[in-house]
Amino acid sequence: MPARLSSSALRAPVNLTWEITDACNLSCSHCLSAALREPAAVAAAGRELDFDQCRALLDELGAMQVFQVNFGGGEPFLRDDFLEILRYAHSLGITTCVSTNGTVLDETLVDELLRMWQTAPVYLQVSLDGACAETNDTIRGRGTFARIMDAVELLSRRRYPELSLNMVVTRPNVGEVGDFAALARRFGAKTRLSRFRPSGAGCSSWEDYRLTRGQLLGLSGFLGDHPEILTGDSFFSLTPDTRRTMGLRMCGAAKMTCAVAPNGDVYPCAFLCDPAFLAGNVARERLSDIFRDSPVFCRFREAEVESCRGCDRFSVCHGGCPAVAYFLTRSTGNADPECLRAVDSNPADEAARQQPHKEVD
Amino acid sequence: MPAWVRVRREDFGLLFYDTRSTRLTYVRSGESLTPPPFVGARRTLAVEAGETQLSTALLRLLDDLVAKGLLVASPAE
Repeated sequence: MPARLSSSALRAPVNLTWEITDACNLSCSHCLSAALREPAAVAAAGRELDFDQCRALLDELGAMQVFQVNFGGGEPFLRDDFLEILRYAHSLGITTCVSTNGTVLDETLVDELLRMWQTAPVYLQVSLDGACAETNDTIRGRGTFARIMDAVELLSRRRYPELSLNMVVTRPNVGEVGDFAALARRFGAKTRLSRFRPSGAGCSSWEDYRLTRGQLLGLSGFLGDHPEILTGDSFFSLTPDTRRTMGLRMCGAAKMTCAVAPNGDVYPCAFLCDPAFLAGNVARERLSDIFRDSPVFCRFREAEVESCRGCDRFSVCHGGCPAVAYFLTRSTGNADPECLRAVDSNPADEAARQQPHKEVD
Repeated sequence: MPAWVRVRREDFGLLFYDTRSTRLTYVRSGESLTPPPFVGARRTLAVEAGETQLSTALLRLLDDLVAKGLLVASPAE
């Protein structure tokens, strides 16, 4: 995609991440949404959007011509009216993608999802954090590997059209990325690798889970050798030039995407659900107004990582992930401390000494 | 327009989205083309009224979109 076009604001997001519920039946140790489920956080945030409010938001997304909604949570399928929400999105021509932990998928639910494909695509991303039970269960909870694989086998048996297995790459599982890709292939699924970021519960597990310098470089090489691996634009700051033409070469937050929390709060990205980046609430304001005019989004769009301008990789990553920069350096104007150049030129593993900030000043 | 393609207007022209690949295609068409709604029985990309004589550039652009599977050529009515 031409950088000049992608750097200017579009009239509407291309896609939107919607954390549709706080509810979850797992307690993964790296979950970006875990902090939102703390009783105090739930009380402060207020209740989830009800069905009418969800429908109103979808109506607006349809009017804005947002192409795709990526539903996450929590576990979206735990919400009673979730299938109805999916159906309504499809009736408006909106493509959907559901990020699920897989543990509640059964034959009836899969059949229903397959029926929805007659109207619009519903992509499924099943989260799995290792190629074996020992690794995955350390992160996602005891017994979860077997339960998730039951769901993957079911989806494979039913020949689910667009299925990917998603792994958040952490120190315990980075050595298994090759096996993980092979596992996904065996079940006819694509492999999607996501970046571990120090937000939500990731703040607490950052020290244990962040990749070492050697692992970051190894992952960069692996992604370069495997263009078929999806990354959801997670690793643009780390990927080699061989992936230059694949996907975004810069952060798309507030430009091409944004995130809506269960209570309707709007943020530039799902990894920046922090009070400092709260741009508005769809229960009180129109999303189109928030996207176009909110000071948070306008500031975010105009931000430049000046310190990176002289870097030979600036055109590839434009400073990297602002969320990682923010949680590690407390400023989105700083360079991503884990970008390829920083990692490559810093044998001292500087990122190891940086601790995530959990609270805003 | 194929059922799997969505398109919307942007300041630079049109932004296409292929729902099968989730790939975006930016088209610098200015104001010369009008996109259809996302849903509907017959979704056709319309050429603006002023463009009675299709320019070579516009024809090439339309051919390119057909080649990419983002448009289906249909006989003139």
